Amino acid sequence: MASDERIRDIGLIRRSISRPELGSVFGLIIIVITFMTLTSISGTFGAMWLNPIGIQAWVELAAFVGILAIGASLLMIAGEFDLSMGANIALAGHSFAIFLLFGVPIELAIILTFLELAFLGFIIGVIVVRTGLPSFIVTLAFWFASRGFAVFLSQTFFNQSRLSVKANLKPPPGGGEDPTLIDNIFAFDKAFGVPFDAEVYYFIILVFIVAFITNRTPYGNWIYASGGDPVAARAVGVPVARVKISLFMISTSLACLLGILTVMTSGASDPKAGDFRELHAIAAAVIGGCALTGGYGSVVGAVLGALIFAIASRGINFVPFIDNNLFRVMLGMLILGSALLNQFLRDRIVKG
Amino acid sequence: MIPSIEFRGVSKFFGNIIALKDISFKVFKGEISALLGDNGAGKSTLIKLLSGVYMPSEGEILLSGEPVNFKSPRQAVSAGIGTVYQDLALQPLMSVTRNFFLGREITKGLFLNMPLMNTITKKEMAKLGIDVADPTQPIGTMSGGQRQTLAIARAIYFGANVLILDEPTSALGQKQQLEVLRTIKKVKELGDIAIIFITHNDLHAKLLGDRFAFLNRGKVLAEGSRDEIDMNNLRPLMAGGAELEKLEIEFSGR
Repeated sequence: MASDERIRDIGLIRRSISRPELGSVFGLIIIVITFMTLTSISGTFGAMWLNPIGIQAWVELAAFVGILAIGASLLMIAGEFDLSMGANIALAGHSFAIFLLFGVPIELAIILTFLELAFLGFIIGVIVVRTGLPSFIVTLAFWFASRGFAVFLSQTFFNQSRLSVKANLKPPPGGGEDPTLIDNIFAFDKAFGVPFDAEVYYFIILVFIVAFITNRTPYGNWIYASGGDPVAARAVGVPVARVKISLFMISTSLACLLGILTVMTSGASDPKAGDFRELHAIAAAVIGGCALTGGYGSVVGAVLGALIFAIASRGINFVPFIDNNLFRVMLGMLILGSALLNQFLRDRIVKG
Repeated sequence: MIPSIEFRGVSKFFGNIIALKDISFKVFKGEISALLGDNGAGKSTLIKLLSGVYMPSEGEILLSGEPVNFKSPRQAVSAGIGTVYQDLALQPLMSVTRNFFLGREITKGLFLNMPLMNTITKKEMAKLGIDVADPTQPIGTMSGGQRQTLAIARAIYFGANVLILDEPTSALGQKQQLEVLRTIKKVKELGDIAIIFITHNDLHAKLLGDRFAFLNRGKVLAEGSRDEIDMNNLRPLMAGGAELEKLEIEFSGR
């Protein structure tokens, strides 16, 4: 009797089709082949794919957008949204710079900035969870407020919107003084003498940690359930509100990491830092297979999405016969195409 | 035998609305108690009283002979009352195993113990007659009947000794309805679980029920075991209102 109720076996192909990353794997292959072809035609193949500076250009952008996309994808899986990520990069950078300019030791300044941004994430999360307002609206408010507050502070205390902290940062290793632990952690590109910015290493480490958490821990399960069907999740004891608040805190903390790294590497905090990056991160998450409706997606997909975004974004500079403005057209089509493909793949799963 | 659950003169009022009036019935372990009633009869209110969402306005609920007063669904669950709602509380895009253990995951250190959870899921589903070939597949690939079985298996595994099934067959096609009925019978055969089978399908009730209670406009019209109830009268009883007087006379002799 049991045999006629048997669930039919699904093959390897069907099973891999049900992975949310699938669309972005195809996307990445297509974009790499496209740009390899285009750069070959333009005679810039070596400059983009073999030259360290060329590689640096898109890898570092992928890492920057990718770190934000980790937060964006986690939130989207949980059915939420953070438009304030880019603005929070500026808030973090300015807060960090202001702490330094007030003479706070660098280690303490880093801790304080992280606490401030995590607290901001907590506030955003509590507002979203308690009021039931869409997170789109709540974080739109902070998209204005965070950057506004950052510039307000720097204008009030230092009468300028761009804050230079070169003098407050330790000189880079080899520049005379011995590097401190913090220099090593936050600028270990210089410490190790490798060509990439520190973002790239943080990005790789974070991807592994977060991918592991989402796939292999109860918390990861709860993130998916909170976005899939919050009522059902609550009914079986998932602390949906706490999960969502924690994800907003992760999102603001990732913005904080980027804000501090930007200041450490450039020696100044720019009020325009991170402008529009929230949209790039969301684009990466969408290309990577996250559903806006929640419950579906993957961090690895978002990372591939960031890579696609970065290759297309930087690659266009290596292809002189295509107008730079066409890049945005292409990016728009890429997002639309990915969203359609991902929706199709998702429906396949539900319909069996 | 002490009933697993007993309602003694339970009433529930919402302001001036009488949702349930003077409800009494008993549910025994190893038995299926069919609770029948048309829409608006008060079935949902009754489920919510049982599962700890509401507290009774009058009367008392006894669990294995002891009066209980659930203040929250959590209390009802920990007292062994498992409710399988119509929407099943499942996540369609998550795997069978992850759904089974959602909110109560088994971990090994910090991480999920997937092999163990997969094994348990397969085993618990097999007990109810469903062979899950691959518990890592998304639940969206299962049939409606299989999902219902999963929700039931989950409630039992996590300690339900009173199982409330809220219209488990109403949203399904014919073939899947039979699948679910078969599952319910398997649960009964486990022997130690009292099943409250809420339905408005008299055919299904007749197939499975050991005891019956008929709810109409907030009142129990009739209650009794298979022998005490005229099985041919199930359908008119369900209709309630129209035949009310006749039925009251018919059952007053009991």
